[in-house]
Amino acid sequence: MKLAILAILPVALSAAGPAGDAACATCHATETRHARVTPMARALETVADCAILKSHPDLSYQEGPYHAEIKRRGSESILTVTQGDQTLTVPLLWAFGLGQAGQTYVFEYHGAMYESRVSFYNQLGKLDLTMGAMGSKPQDIEMAAGRKMDSLGARDCFSCHSTGAVSGGKLHLETIVPGVGCESCHVGSGKHADAVKAGDAAAAKIAHLASLPSEDVSELCGRCHRTWSQIALNGPRGVNNVRFQPYRLANSKCYDAADARIRCTACHDPHGVLQTDLAAYDTKCTACHSAALHTKVCPVAKANCAGCHMPKIDLPGAHAKFTDHQIRIARAGAPYPN
Amino acid sequence: MRSGSVGLRPAALLFGLLLSSAFAQEDTLRHAIELHQKGDIAAAIPEYRAYLKQVPNNVMARSNLGAALARVGQYEDAIVEYNKALEAQPANLPVRLNLALAYYKASRISQASDELAKVVAAEPSNKQAVYLLADCDLRLGENKKVIDLLSPVEKQSPNDKALLYMLGTALIRDHQTDKGQILVDRILRDGDSAEARLLLGATKMSVSDFSGALGDFKRAVELNPQLPDVYSYYGMAMAATGDTPGAAVAFRKELEANPNDYTSNVQLGILLKQDQDYAESRKCFQRAEKVRPGDAAARYQLATLDLQDGHVDEARKALEKLTAEIPKFIEAHVSLATVYYRLKRKEDGDKERAIVLRLNEEKQAAEPGAKGK
Repeated sequence: MKLAILAILPVALSAAGPAGDAACATCHATETRHARVTPMARALETVADCAILKSHPDLSYQEGPYHAEIKRRGSESILTVTQGDQTLTVPLLWAFGLGQAGQTYVFEYHGAMYESRVSFYNQLGKLDLTMGAMGSKPQDIEMAAGRKMDSLGARDCFSCHSTGAVSGGKLHLETIVPGVGCESCHVGSGKHADAVKAGDAAAAKIAHLASLPSEDVSELCGRCHRTWSQIALNGPRGVNNVRFQPYRLANSKCYDAADARIRCTACHDPHGVLQTDLAAYDTKCTACHSAALHTKVCPVAKANCAGCHMPKIDLPGAHAKFTDHQIRIARAGAPYPN
Repeated sequence: MRSGSVGLRPAALLFGLLLSSAFAQEDTLRHAIELHQKGDIAAAIPEYRAYLKQVPNNVMARSNLGAALARVGQYEDAIVEYNKALEAQPANLPVRLNLALAYYKASRISQASDELAKVVAAEPSNKQAVYLLADCDLRLGENKKVIDLLSPVEKQSPNDKALLYMLGTALIRDHQTDKGQILVDRILRDGDSAEARLLLGATKMSVSDFSGALGDFKRAVELNPQLPDVYSYYGMAMAATGDTPGAAVAFRKELEANPNDYTSNVQLGILLKQDQDYAESRKCFQRAEKVRPGDAAARYQLATLDLQDGHVDEARKALEKLTAEIPKFIEAHVSLATVYYRLKRKEDGDKERAIVLRLNEEKQAAEPGAKGK
């Protein structure tokens, strides 16, 4: 029995990256050029543009009696779930993430948005259960296809993975620009650009994010990477919170809400790709820990501090290791500090 | 004699004047009552006021003025008049009952409850007062008080559906689910009813069976959309099952019929806050706090809105007070940490965070399945 074939397509989008960013590039060419190639800038793709789905045109996953397939058909990728004589077929609309810790798909079914029950993982090179689906068993074919998202959940997902999708607290897919663009962090940059063009210096004023104190930077990055408050209040507890870096960092013994040397942007360039060479971070540690400053220095090693003090933690179901941002003396066999 | 007659004349005149004045006053009162009885309240009110200016101690007129004011929705003015009447006659139960009703209508549920408790203490057989007191206490979350109040009455009126419904609600909210279920069964004996469905749904909610509860509340709405709390519960079940737009609609419907509903005000406030409609959200929390003065949840939400709106010092004061009153209020400590950091009071912020981590650890240790349990 065929349940449904829906053909709802996402709004036509510019393929040339975030539209608003072009205006920013006029003056901030370097930052914009660098930012465009970061994974954050590609945190959301339309299925038509999705590199993973293009390069993996035939994906499948078996979960008990349910068989899920994602097949490429032209610029579309179609999810088909079958169980016995039941079939549910829907075109995927959006691809969230780049597969490092899973690429999850969103489709529309009976007027509601659904998060796919399967995700693509780079490390596996194939589909597996989406992290949020672990531990549950599908009760029917609809659940085997995905989880119905409530309006707030959908808004929050798109809000972090795209630019311009939320206004007045509501999701507006008609204005969406996939990926994290300038305006995601630099709120009001559109008005700023207009005012600069018009030569209106007063109206062109915009928050200078580089001068924000540590705690405010944590709050800003935490809008998507979760703030300390969000995790402290709602969890998750245990190793599942390792991916929420602002929370973990704030729990570090050396965290100082008033010290700019230990804020997110002290180590990470928000406009650049993630630095994966551990040694590159050593100067960030020695900015505080050095004999010259008469502060505690490591008696074990002089380099690659993060390798020991920020251990990589396997996150169950993510098929990826996350760097624990709770900086500490990590002893072998010690429990994960929550 | 002459002088005597001269001396008598002013007294007689004065008496005559007083008599005619008294007649005029009584005419004014009579006229006011006639207008009141005819339903011309707008005209009756100034007549009562004119009379009371001359005869301020007439309790009946004062009480009538209160009733007239309440009738046109001027509850705060009515409360003033009823209180004045009660100063003269503290034992006047009908006036006290009216005062309670005015408090109730003015969303001053806590004060309504206080007045009703006095009426019920003096006249335990006054069913109207008993039921209204139970209703107030349910709204105030005083479930045990409701159980104590209604349990003896239930023995005398075992088939009174309204009573069974209120008592059942209090029992279920007080986690005495088994006893509540018995009352649900008794209501169901007479066939499917909105009251029974509402109680059934509430029972399911108490064990986190939200989708099961949703079906019962839906049916309750179909059976009697006017039933107090029906949309409030329906909204909560919708929110718990992910239908937040539907929940917002349900809470609004409850508030249309019953602006004093605490739960709907708080829940709608939270949804509006999530939708970044902070001004409307604030109104909801303010109404909730009016219904339950001093309510910690409403005060906390208002403090977070202050923080959101940049009124950091107001938020600090409110949160410091809340954490002093309720030291284990984790959410308040979390927000207070944020407030301190915004105010550049790093050490205080750090202290609050340490408190939160400690409270979270304690909470985790107390959870079922925790190590050592």
